[in-house]
Amino acid sequence: MSDVLLRVRDLRVHFFTDEGIVKAVDGVDLDIERGKTLCLVGESGCGKSVACRSFLNIVQPPGRIVSGEMLFYGGADREPVDLAKLDAKGRQIRQIRGKEISMIFQEPMTSLSPMYTVGNQIMENILLHTGTSKEDAREKAIDLLGQVGIPKPDRLIDEYPFRLSGGMRQRAMIAMALSCHPNLLVADEPTTALDVTTQAQILDLMLELQHNYGMALLFITHDLGVVAEIADDVAVMYLGKIVERATARVIFNEPQHPYTRSLLRSIPKIAMKREELDPIKGMVPSPFRRPEGCTFHPRCPNVMDVCRHVVPSVTQLDDTHTVQCLLYEPEPVEQARS
Amino acid sequence: MWKYIARRFSTMLFTLFVISLISFAVIQLPPGDYVTSLIARMASQGAGNISQEFQAEMRSLYGLNEPVYMQYLKWMRNILVNGRFGYSFVYQRDAINLIVERLPMSFALAFSSLLFVWAVALPIGIYSAVHQYSTVDYLFSFIGFIGVAVPNFLLALIFLYVSYRVFGRAMVGLFSQDFADAPWSWARVVDLLKHLWIPVIIIGTGGTAGLIRTMRANLLDELNKPYVETARAKGLSENRLLLKYPVRHAMNPFVSTIGWTLPGVVSGEAIVSMVLNLPTAGPVLLGALQAQDMYVAAGFVLLLSTLTVIGTFISDLMLAWVDPRIRLQ
Amino acid sequence: MSVTESLDIDGPVLDTQVQEEEKFEVASQWQLMWWKFTKHKLAMISLVIVVIFYVVALFCEFFAPTTTTQYRAEYVNAPPQPLRLFLDGQWNPFVYGYLSERDPVSFKRTWTIDEATVIPVGFFVRGTPYRLWGLIPMDRHLVGAKEADQPFYLMGADKNGRDVFSRIIYSSRISLTVGLIGVFLSLTLGILLGGISGLMGGVLDNIIQRIIEVLMSIPHLPLWMALAAVVPLQWSAVRVYFMITLILSLISWTGMARVVRSRFLSLREEDFVMAAKLDGCRRWRLILRHMLPSFLSHIIASVTLAIPGMILGETALSFLGLGLRPPVVSWGVMLQDTQRVAVVALYPWLMWPAAAVVLVVLALYFLGDGLRDAADPYQA
Repeated sequence: MSDVLLRVRDLRVHFFTDEGIVKAVDGVDLDIERGKTLCLVGESGCGKSVACRSFLNIVQPPGRIVSGEMLFYGGADREPVDLAKLDAKGRQIRQIRGKEISMIFQEPMTSLSPMYTVGNQIMENILLHTGTSKEDAREKAIDLLGQVGIPKPDRLIDEYPFRLSGGMRQRAMIAMALSCHPNLLVADEPTTALDVTTQAQILDLMLELQHNYGMALLFITHDLGVVAEIADDVAVMYLGKIVERATARVIFNEPQHPYTRSLLRSIPKIAMKREELDPIKGMVPSPFRRPEGCTFHPRCPNVMDVCRHVVPSVTQLDDTHTVQCLLYEPEPVEQARS
Repeated sequence: MWKYIARRFSTMLFTLFVISLISFAVIQLPPGDYVTSLIARMASQGAGNISQEFQAEMRSLYGLNEPVYMQYLKWMRNILVNGRFGYSFVYQRDAINLIVERLPMSFALAFSSLLFVWAVALPIGIYSAVHQYSTVDYLFSFIGFIGVAVPNFLLALIFLYVSYRVFGRAMVGLFSQDFADAPWSWARVVDLLKHLWIPVIIIGTGGTAGLIRTMRANLLDELNKPYVETARAKGLSENRLLLKYPVRHAMNPFVSTIGWTLPGVVSGEAIVSMVLNLPTAGPVLLGALQAQDMYVAAGFVLLLSTLTVIGTFISDLMLAWVDPRIRLQ
Repeated sequence: MSVTESLDIDGPVLDTQVQEEEKFEVASQWQLMWWKFTKHKLAMISLVIVVIFYVVALFCEFFAPTTTTQYRAEYVNAPPQPLRLFLDGQWNPFVYGYLSERDPVSFKRTWTIDEATVIPVGFFVRGTPYRLWGLIPMDRHLVGAKEADQPFYLMGADKNGRDVFSRIIYSSRISLTVGLIGVFLSLTLGILLGGISGLMGGVLDNIIQRIIEVLMSIPHLPLWMALAAVVPLQWSAVRVYFMITLILSLISWTGMARVVRSRFLSLREEDFVMAAKLDGCRRWRLILRHMLPSFLSHIIASVTLAIPGMILGETALSFLGLGLRPPVVSWGVMLQDTQRVAVVALYPWLMWPAAAVVLVVLALYFLGDGLRDAADPYQA
């Protein structure tokens, strides 16, 4: 048995809106291993952001974790805590947030408050979770800012975020997230809003820090290039479900799910000669009108009749590789259900 | 920062200049010059004749024989240098005396009303935003609408009627009879405070309603901002988080609303004072306007507006003080 | 031909949900607004109330049981006669008559409702003759005592024995149109100056912005009072009316100008405006065809929200005796009678005009609020 840090089983997060229920996360299974990097990949609107927020139990109304369990083996005794069962406003989950599990967001421009200095916002986290004095917290914050590659950290600590560039802010965010040595860092598209050079720098920094701190990294992205660079394991998400899960090597070399294949095919390659791009046909369906059966069937190149009304279940291909597609389900199961 | 203050300050000076022009226009607009109408008025009241010397003195003091811009300059000079706002023929004394008597109470009342508006609107606005679409939110929205729709002089009338019905006498004025003309003392202040809350509530209701809506809307905007999520992900408790981040952010536009709340409160103070017959600027201004006692009226318009504009300027400074984005411009 | 064919083929396949969505997609901006507006119940009710008020104002001579000048000395300060609809279980609207007594000491008249006298009430009855819009001579009234010489005071009588209810109805014409005309004036000023400000920018924008700031930072009421006070006493009622309206709109155009300016500024950045520009669209066509329609709905909402301010302003000025003056009747003029607390205490029904003010202002606010929500394309 591998060293699992967070085990998610059948997680469902639904949004109860006036127009109807949006099943943003609809039965997700995930394992995040200690010290490893898991990339969660999918198109916009597939529920990956909601999923990662639910790991911290900070999904806001009208959204709600409806069912499932999220076992977190973070404490010193490695006794599992079910994050889904904790009161979202309670003390227990708040001691995990920012200390055991930290999060970095997509928008470095707006994720830091312009009203307080960078130092204030980093120190807040340290003071909240450790019993150190203000002076020590400040020392620590300066040290962290140095670690994330901010020049003259002792001066920048008193700067307001709106005076920093996007890349600098994201570095400050990382410093804040790391301030209590979390076991798990959740990063929700942390490089999407940055320009390409900065993106590469931030990625390198995150990998380096992950190595130094020995923490697990859950990296949410829609950029398969990034995935190839950093991932140990990959989970592909489509309309609230994990459709395929495997090691990065397997995902890139032997993808099984038609959606994963389409995703990989749609990336332009430098080696490619002036061919047309091969996008996935169709659009992501409206969240209020999910297709019946396999939700991918209207866009699937390998669609079968049975896909239109039978919901696929998870098929274990080998120890580390699962796929949720009727193509791989053994015949009897299919007949039993249809 | 200094650039911002300098810009605000120059705007204020310009506004004050325009206000002085408008106030001066108030003196100029009625037909006939001031001394002529003064004589006519005095004669009709049987107050005897005014000596030729006095007439000549008045004419030269206000430059009535000179072009309009000279009259304006003389008028301003008298105010700025000598603190003389002109002569009131109704009260038969210098307008400045009336102003000194009445204006401080006006501003005490306006300032108390502003404090009341803030103290009430802030917590209710926060509560309504955090509990959006709750029963309490709807209730306050509805009360807010009524507060906006019922003008404060009507509120004062209704209050008069009710107090007459319930207590058998109209609750007017700011002091009990014993203290009305008494010199200032601790007991008189207490007496004032006992009476002050009524006009304060009446004046403040309209502004409170508006400000609750502003605070609620501001806060609703802020509640969904990413930095709130960042703070939540840190493990801050909901209440601490709410006060430190979104409320703090929503305060900025809120502070800048003093700029438009203050003119409303001053207007409200004027009219409510007339209805409730409070010893403030309002009734004197009304009386002066009705009697065409224009130097007094112009003096009050000028000073009420000036103090409002200065108040707005101070609120701009406060805004710079609370918002680093402005401070560090 | 092929288009219709393909439509025919597709037709039956579409389920209702899809049709619904298609309807949504092809609907014009106004249809969308209307659908959104109708969901707002309070705003719909307010719309009905506002329409009723304006219709009554339009035909006030007909809706009022009598005229504003009709007075009867014997019913000075008579209390309201409540309208009863059923007599002995039969549909037979009526009011009770009065019994009056004169206090032998103070000579003050006191009234009691006399349940013995029944005054039958009819609809479309003949009554005081009047001229509709000052032109068409008529004598029919919507409601009134069947016999014209019987007292009929639904909301009591004032100090001259005039019918408060009729005067409130007549007042609506003045009070409501002050709002309309005033808003029209400030709208013209606001669109003109706000448009110049937003489109031209630069020095002109700066000047206009400063003027707006100045006007907004002055307490309105003292200024209004001062300006209204210098309106000459000998001016005719009509001139005073327009002067007061002008004074009121002198300040309120600023809000409108701000809305227009900020709309133009934000629209300038919009892609569709840029696209039209790149397509070689001429400046005026761009403004009239592409920019103006996209915020017309906002303008309408702001206008609706500006009217109540005007109505309240007129009421306040007239109440203080600085606005409109008798014989003109407006709600503010009527409320002048209530300035003395003794009057309010003895004859509370003289406060009825206040109820009319509050009701119409409230309705206009709700209506404007609903319109504003409906006009916002980015809000579900």
